[in-house]
Amino acid sequence: MLEKNGVGIAAVSYDSQDILKSFADRYGIGYPLLSDPDSAVIRRFGILNTNIAAGLRAHGVPHPVDYLVASDGTVIRKYFVENYQHRVTASAVVLQEFGSAGGEVEAVVLRSGALSVEIGLSGSKAFAGQELGFFARFKLEPGWHVYGTPLPGAYTAASITFDDPKIIRQSLVLPEARPMEMAALGETLPVYGGSFEGVGSLLLKFPIDAGLTVLKGQLRFQPCSETVCEPPQAVPFELPLTIQPFMLPPARKPTP
Amino acid sequence: MIYEEPSDLAEKAAVMREFGRRRAAGEPVSEELYAKHVNATNDRYATGPERGQRIPDFTLPDQNGVARSLGDLTAPNGLLLVFHRSADW
Repeated sequence: MLEKNGVGIAAVSYDSQDILKSFADRYGIGYPLLSDPDSAVIRRFGILNTNIAAGLRAHGVPHPVDYLVASDGTVIRKYFVENYQHRVTASAVVLQEFGSAGGEVEAVVLRSGALSVEIGLSGSKAFAGQELGFFARFKLEPGWHVYGTPLPGAYTAASITFDDPKIIRQSLVLPEARPMEMAALGETLPVYGGSFEGVGSLLLKFPIDAGLTVLKGQLRFQPCSETVCEPPQAVPFELPLTIQPFMLPPARKPTP
Repeated sequence: MIYEEPSDLAEKAAVMREFGRRRAAGEPVSEELYAKHVNATNDRYATGPERGQRIPDFTLPDQNGVARSLGDLTAPNGLLLVFHRSADW
């Protein structure tokens, strides 16, 4: 996923080269696992986990952070994640930073009157507890608009919400809406017309049973033309997602 | 280096437990709790180089004993550098 989008990957820990070699062999990891046994590079980054007292075995580990850097080493984004095991999915990184969904993504297309919206996840697979990305591509027929935010209470802004207990945190970033003067109403309201796209993130519950499941959500919007405003609409949708099983560590090779 | 135990460890632990409970129960996590949890886990968001800054230069051996540095790890669009705890525990 990352390689296909021209992004390298490497991991850093305080483990010895032997431990990393054994781990890479057992899990079939091909990317570089870098050994920083005295945590010198971890300290130089300034990300030593200071919650852990000196003298404990765990002292010397870094905070759980992923750095996405450009080829000259400039930080594009840092993902301080919520714990060591659950990292943001590679597909969410690619969608959020490079705007492309990876692999075989099943998107749904919702059509309602003048609006069609294509909604899809950044990838079709994730582990429980991970962060996934999603995209929403809106397309309105000429002469029609939907509302953005901030909006007075009497109107319904375009939104996508996942009403699903498998998702414990969600966000959707839409482009800034354009102010439109409503002569008949004597108001200026934020609107979208034509085509526009939003990108969001979803944090999954942990644990979730492995296997194929669906994420349930709703698209809400209120379509208006120059002359008529239709009632607010809510269109439910479902996106398929495969929850990957946790890998149990294969048995260590007996030491000769 | 003399280690100073953070004075707010108990508070951090309480935040992390509440986050873990909600995550397991599938209960929504507010932006405030999420931010507090990430903050507690990471001992402030402010640690480490920020967006737009250069990361420090480094050269470290990989699992095969080959010395690696940013220049040879990065691809045309960059590098995802993952810091993790131990692969042994």
